[in-house]
Amino acid sequence: MLNDRKVILRFIQRAIRESKELQEHVVSFKKGDIIFNQGESLHYLYLLLKGKAKLNHTRTDGSSLDLLKLVPGHFVGLLSFTTGNPSLTSCIVQADVQALRIEQNEFEQYVNDNPRLRHPLQQLMMSNMADRFLKNLELESEMSALNKKLEKEREDLKEAYEQLEESYQKIVHQEKMATLGELVAGFAHEVNNPAAALIRSAEALKENFKDLSISEPLAVMFKNGLEAGPISSSEVRTRMLEVQKRFPYVEDRAATRKLAQMPEEALAVVDSNRKKIPVTQLLQQFEAGKLIHNIQLASARIANLVKSLKSYSRQDNNQADMIDVRTGIKDTVLVLTNRLKFLDVNLELNEVPETCARMGELNQVWTNILVNACDALPDGGKITIKTWNNKKSIFVKISDNGPGIPVDILDRIFEPNYTTKNQGAKFGLGLGLAISNQVIGKLGGTIEAKNNEVKGATFIISIPITKC
Amino acid sequence: MDKQIYIIVVEDELEVMDALVGDLEFIESVFPVETANNTEEAKEIMQQIEEAGNQVGLILCDHVLPGKNGVDLLIELQSHPTIKMSKKVLVTGQAGLEDTVQAINKAGLDYYVAKPWQKEELQQVVVNQLTDFIIQQKLNPLPYMTVLDATRLAEVLRNNTLTDN
Repeated sequence: MLNDRKVILRFIQRAIRESKELQEHVVSFKKGDIIFNQGESLHYLYLLLKGKAKLNHTRTDGSSLDLLKLVPGHFVGLLSFTTGNPSLTSCIVQADVQALRIEQNEFEQYVNDNPRLRHPLQQLMMSNMADRFLKNLELESEMSALNKKLEKEREDLKEAYEQLEESYQKIVHQEKMATLGELVAGFAHEVNNPAAALIRSAEALKENFKDLSISEPLAVMFKNGLEAGPISSSEVRTRMLEVQKRFPYVEDRAATRKLAQMPEEALAVVDSNRKKIPVTQLLQQFEAGKLIHNIQLASARIANLVKSLKSYSRQDNNQADMIDVRTGIKDTVLVLTNRLKFLDVNLELNEVPETCARMGELNQVWTNILVNACDALPDGGKITIKTWNNKKSIFVKISDNGPGIPVDILDRIFEPNYTTKNQGAKFGLGLGLAISNQVIGKLGGTIEAKNNEVKGATFIISIPITKC
Repeated sequence: MDKQIYIIVVEDELEVMDALVGDLEFIESVFPVETANNTEEAKEIMQQIEEAGNQVGLILCDHVLPGKNGVDLLIELQSHPTIKMSKKVLVTGQAGLEDTVQAINKAGLDYYVAKPWQKEELQQVVVNQLTDFIIQQKLNPLPYMTVLDATRLAEVLRNNTLTDN
């Protein structure tokens, strides 16, 4: 029986008791003794009769590894003894040991002298070998399990790293937006004052000028200038031809152009007064009105933009508030005028109830979707924004008539870092839709992208109606 | 004057157009101004001017326009046998570096005026560019001396007289 180590051991112990010669070879070691050291060439093979010992291997990096626990019946120094190579391990006594010491060159002799020991010794050796082989198998499988664990940990680590990178990018983006928001708010505030001054001055100038228009015809010219508004260049051209026929005495082309921009009332005044008042003076009055009108229009535009910028970039955007999503949509559209001005933007903002949300964050969502739509429509097109609601939610639908979203990326566009734009492009982090998704998700809403049946893409956002 | 030299202004915002045209009044008695709100209209007008036997001397062009942008228009005009001779000036607040490089390299841009412009600067640019145009086209400088750079035109006149002898 190969694994019946104890039976064989008892047989050998009996043989030792019966043989004086063998008894001389029995040696003792105390706990903590080292029977041999790693790297030594061994002259003896020990058969453990009593006690416990362990084989320990010290690696090149200095760490040590317990390889095998030795109990009675185990050979000590078996590998080194059979191969003649220096020992790969140290043997440390863990509980007082008695062992049969067999001298290398005497081994054959013993076996020959004691033929009845030959078989048990051989069996014991086989059993030892089998033990070590089993141990080896155990180690192998342990190692493969460890490898698997390591592999998994590596995967986990990689994933954790990717998540870290992603949140880092998000933080950078949010920080960027926050800085931008502060800048914009500061800028808007600064521009607001001169814009207000412009509006007030234009208003005052208008009143002043009215008082200066001493005669009725001049006052009418001024009033007409104020109200006329600009005319497209093609219309100016057609009307210049008419004016030339009607006022053959006006030879100056600049004057003709001015006449061409006048409404009938002003033209009639010029015609009936040209003998009393010089035509240039009449034109100047009209022109003054028009200039003041232009100043008013332009400064009102500045003021409007500034107002939208301020509300768009809401400094208090960390505060959730009862808001009307339509306000944010209108502000966003105005702030994006520069991108949207050559597109046909169609707003169908039906009345919706207020809900508890952060206006600034929602504006980021509208901005991201609208900027994407603009990018998809480089040669112009149509964008429709529609709002409606049911009892539970507010819905916002933004659709364009561009090329649509390629089908193979449709289900990935809300993933972070998924961008079809070149790195470093204007909005460039590829986080726009991922952040939009997060913002809407936080509100308990949904954001969905799909392609239209005919042409273009549609985003539908739902936001639950809640109270703050 | 046998043939008219036109100034073309391309600008889509009507108030801005008003202001530009207003600043050009000083020269309009000699160089008629034509306006266009987009590039298509601009091409049409220039075509009409050419067909009427007149010439485009100077184009003041905004960059951001509906449809085709200003730089694209200027580049396209380079392939026109006569209009390519005209002086080309961008008047814009929004042409980026790349567009401007394109305009210089491919459209032979002569000058860049940044918005908001100063009246005196714009008028000086117009005078200089049109003076260049008259000289390069070897047109008789006499009719233009009142509004353009009289010193330079007089010099041309003197040299011409010398060579004629």
